[in-house]
Amino acid sequence: MLRPATQCSVVLLFLALVFPCSSPALDLPALIREVETRYQGVSSHALVIMEIETAHWKRSLELESWSEGRDRFLARILAPAKEKGVATLKIANEVWNYLPKVDRVMKIPPSMMGGAWMGSHLTNDDLVKAHRIDEDYTFALLEEDDAGWLIEARPRPEAPVVWGKLVYRINRTPFVPVQISYFDEEMIEVRQIHFDRVEQIDGRWIPRRMLVNPLEKEERTVLLYQNIEFDLPLPPQLFSVRSLKRN
Amino acid sequence: MMSLLRLAWSNLWRNRRRTWITLAALAFSIMLVQTSHNLSTGVYSQMIESGVRAGSGHLTVYRGNYLETRDEKLGFNPQEFSEKLKSIEAVETVLPRIYLAGLAQSSRESRGIVLSGIDPLLEQSINPILKRLPASSGLPDMASRQALVGDRLLKELQLKEGSKFVVTLQNRQGEMVSELLRVHGVVHSGIRHLDRSLVMIGLHRAATLAGMPDEVHELALILKNGLGNETPAAEIAALLPGDRGLRLYFWDEAMTNLANAIKLDYASQQFMFLIILMIVTIGVVNTLLMAVMERTREFGTILALGARASVLHRMLFLEALILGALGLLLGTFFGSLATWYLVEKGIDLQNWIEGELEFGGVVFEPVMRAVWEPLWMLKIGIYVLSLCILASLYPAYRAGRIVPAESMRK
Amino acid sequence: MLWQMAVRNLWRNWRRTLLTMSALVVSVALLILSLGVFSGMFADMLASATQQYHGHLVISRQGYQDQRQLHDTILYDPHVVEQLHATRDVLGISPRLRGFGLLSRDEQTQPAELLGIEPGRERQVTSLHEKIVAGKFPAEMLGSWIVLGRGLADKLEVNPGDELVFVTQAADGSIGNDLLRVLGVFDSGDFNRDNSLALVSLAWLQQLLVLPERLHEISLSISAPMEAKPVAKQLAMQLPESLEVVDWGRLLPEMQEAIASYDVSRLILVLILYAAAGLGVLNTFFMSVLERVREFGVLLAIGMKPSSIRNLVLLESLVMGGLSLLVGSGLGVLMTLMLSGDGIDLSRWMTAVTYAGGTIPPRLRAELVTDNLLVPSVTLLLVSLVSGYLPARRASRLRPVAALRGD
Repeated sequence: MLRPATQCSVVLLFLALVFPCSSPALDLPALIREVETRYQGVSSHALVIMEIETAHWKRSLELESWSEGRDRFLARILAPAKEKGVATLKIANEVWNYLPKVDRVMKIPPSMMGGAWMGSHLTNDDLVKAHRIDEDYTFALLEEDDAGWLIEARPRPEAPVVWGKLVYRINRTPFVPVQISYFDEEMIEVRQIHFDRVEQIDGRWIPRRMLVNPLEKEERTVLLYQNIEFDLPLPPQLFSVRSLKRN
Repeated sequence: MMSLLRLAWSNLWRNRRRTWITLAALAFSIMLVQTSHNLSTGVYSQMIESGVRAGSGHLTVYRGNYLETRDEKLGFNPQEFSEKLKSIEAVETVLPRIYLAGLAQSSRESRGIVLSGIDPLLEQSINPILKRLPASSGLPDMASRQALVGDRLLKELQLKEGSKFVVTLQNRQGEMVSELLRVHGVVHSGIRHLDRSLVMIGLHRAATLAGMPDEVHELALILKNGLGNETPAAEIAALLPGDRGLRLYFWDEAMTNLANAIKLDYASQQFMFLIILMIVTIGVVNTLLMAVMERTREFGTILALGARASVLHRMLFLEALILGALGLLLGTFFGSLATWYLVEKGIDLQNWIEGELEFGGVVFEPVMRAVWEPLWMLKIGIYVLSLCILASLYPAYRAGRIVPAESMRK
Repeated sequence: MLWQMAVRNLWRNWRRTLLTMSALVVSVALLILSLGVFSGMFADMLASATQQYHGHLVISRQGYQDQRQLHDTILYDPHVVEQLHATRDVLGISPRLRGFGLLSRDEQTQPAELLGIEPGRERQVTSLHEKIVAGKFPAEMLGSWIVLGRGLADKLEVNPGDELVFVTQAADGSIGNDLLRVLGVFDSGDFNRDNSLALVSLAWLQQLLVLPERLHEISLSISAPMEAKPVAKQLAMQLPESLEVVDWGRLLPEMQEAIASYDVSRLILVLILYAAAGLGVLNTFFMSVLERVREFGVLLAIGMKPSSIRNLVLLESLVMGGLSLLVGSGLGVLMTLMLSGDGIDLSRWMTAVTYAGGTIPPRLRAELVTDNLLVPSVTLLLVSLVSGYLPARRASRLRPVAALRGD
């Protein structure tokens, strides 16, 4: 539960918010925003399989998730049966969990925001800080070729991020992220997120698979998008503590 | 009366060796009791001083039941009265502090912490934890992002001096807020849970982050001469606005652990004093009784010559008094000598123990020093003197009951 | 012959004999009592270090005590437990499993450490069952009960009978969560522990964490806690190499320092007490022999050998010393026993004292230890012999005439 925090903006990819598809230009913040919002829409609804491997166990979860804007996100476990119905709700900076077995909603206290989210290599804090990438970083182009771009994101001097820098590798056509590397202040690579299995879904190119690798351990989390749809109407009360309980 | 005194005096010195031995025992015990009292009083006040300086001051202002609940909502704005408090003659300084529970994250780990906001300049002149830092590593100012981090926490977060980390907490408005901080210095208090959770930054930054600008949780008052009879507690309490639930606490209310540790230690010491004094009393009773028995024949003669028993009583009483007074003088002399040494040189415990000395949750200096407590020394002297006089009662009674004829037959 | 003479001497001067003996009796008795009190405080400190949580020795997987990793478990093997029970010095054995997670009730959620125990066995190792301030300590293991620290109970706003939710990540990565019913609240006096620790059923926690038959540690209490280190070493040799046996000194290094410093200051106090008592005895014995210089002169004059005189005095001292020691140590033991048990309660003046990670109850309590009997007795007997012998030797060397003059 008290897994080391590995905070990043990765969940953004997993959440979703639409950003109008623009032509790849050298407006770097726009480029990154675009990558970060690849999976997003005004709203989204997805079916995801999350496979987690640690030194001690390996498991697979089936999740259904909804998002609206940057601030609202709901995920519910469909399988395995033991955890069916366990749900997470994020509204702005706060996170609640619903536990069907005991029929209780729990708000995550600040001191536990570093805890692993549903046992994965993402933390509750990742959910909360997901949307801040363009506020917290400045960007520089490292390489550009026919295949794509290599962009370095440096945190602004006072931004509350633990990383020394992030490096994005982005593919030109189709326009999708390939890899994000997380470095600490001594520029040692600490974590990698890798994207592959690019397919066209609902009119846009989406990497179906996302791998989260903490580099100092033999562990990883894999997210497999089974299905994802965008811009669908969602009932407004979906993102509320009350609806967490309902299935 | 004078002649009786002279008689008692010469009686005592008739058996010089016995008198010296008894005197030695008396003086030795007085010296021990006086010295160890002075030493422990010195050590206690050392502990209290470093305790209040690292902790919550000689006197502390809290709002409501903050002391028990540590409810972060119980902040208060000290602006209107803290200057007035500072201007009180006996007050050395007033330390504003804020304590916030939160999460610290590095690129590797995260830990629950207590973020404390302090006034670095004021604090560094007072707080022994900060005083130990090299001069250059004090916090720059009230709004700085530079933080002092407990050494264990630093290790657990895999941080180094200069590296950054992020602190997250829930502010007054219930929102999660994060702040980038940098490790400016490493502090070591010697108290494990502190070293594992302590992050200190400038008060303004902490208060702003917590959404309670200008507020504090604790106002620690350091007094120039420590606590004493002239502590202006009433004067200070009168300066606090009456309508905001603010209350002034003495250090022993705010730091019960330290106060109790000292009380417990002192209780066991007093128990020991009691034992020593009992042993001494028995010794004096013995000496006097033996002196009486030795002089049975002599007393018998005196009585036979028509003296009243009360004369004998008085003489023995005077003997005890002289013995006690001499013991007191000698003992106090040596007690003062020992105290003087312990005041000047002290006992360096580092020769015996490695690492820090923690007592009642406070780390204290390893050199134990005594202080002068002349009144107490006098008090113990008077105790011993009274004990001597008490000890003469039974022997005097025995001497008075000597039957002249019987005693002379021996 | 000498023996008879000694007894006759003592008997003839029974007042002086009693007087001399009384000094020794009182000194021995008081010395035994105060040593007993020191031992009692020492035991309280030691107990505070070990009986509140850790126990004297802890067996766990190598490295578990530093990292507390969920997966560093050991098998709960009843055979090993039996073997441990049969080991000399081992008094109690408590198998434990530990889980960190969130305890929640309504709006309140708090991080907590849950310790899965078998109540009957845990009682043999720690004293938390004596610290219950509300509700009760469980009688049996089964059930989803929880006994939590007072601070934690206050923060969660729960009382005995209330329900709590615990949620954590189980060993298979799944989300473990279940309801617990508050059975009791303990107040160990240690603020940090009372704010974070809760006890639950071992079987319940094994199931929740999906660690069937597994333990994190086996905590032991032994008969001689100060000997924990050698016992740990000895046990470690019997156990597989993957396991380590950690003594309380390693788990609580600050406490070990505190105890060491207490030991130093106790040593100083004991020396002072011995000096005071020894001086008292010396005083009395010395004087009682000095008084008799004239008598020795007579004996010398009628032809007794100086060595006989010395032996006579020695014998007399020995008889007096022996008798007084019997009475004195009897008295001392009696007083010590009166102060053992709960001792003198000081809770009107102070609350429990947290001291280097342990908590000392506010009391003056004595404890009977054989060393506290033997050492003072033998020491004071020696003092009395020497202080009788020295003046006797001097007297026996005098020429009879000088002695008769009563120098």
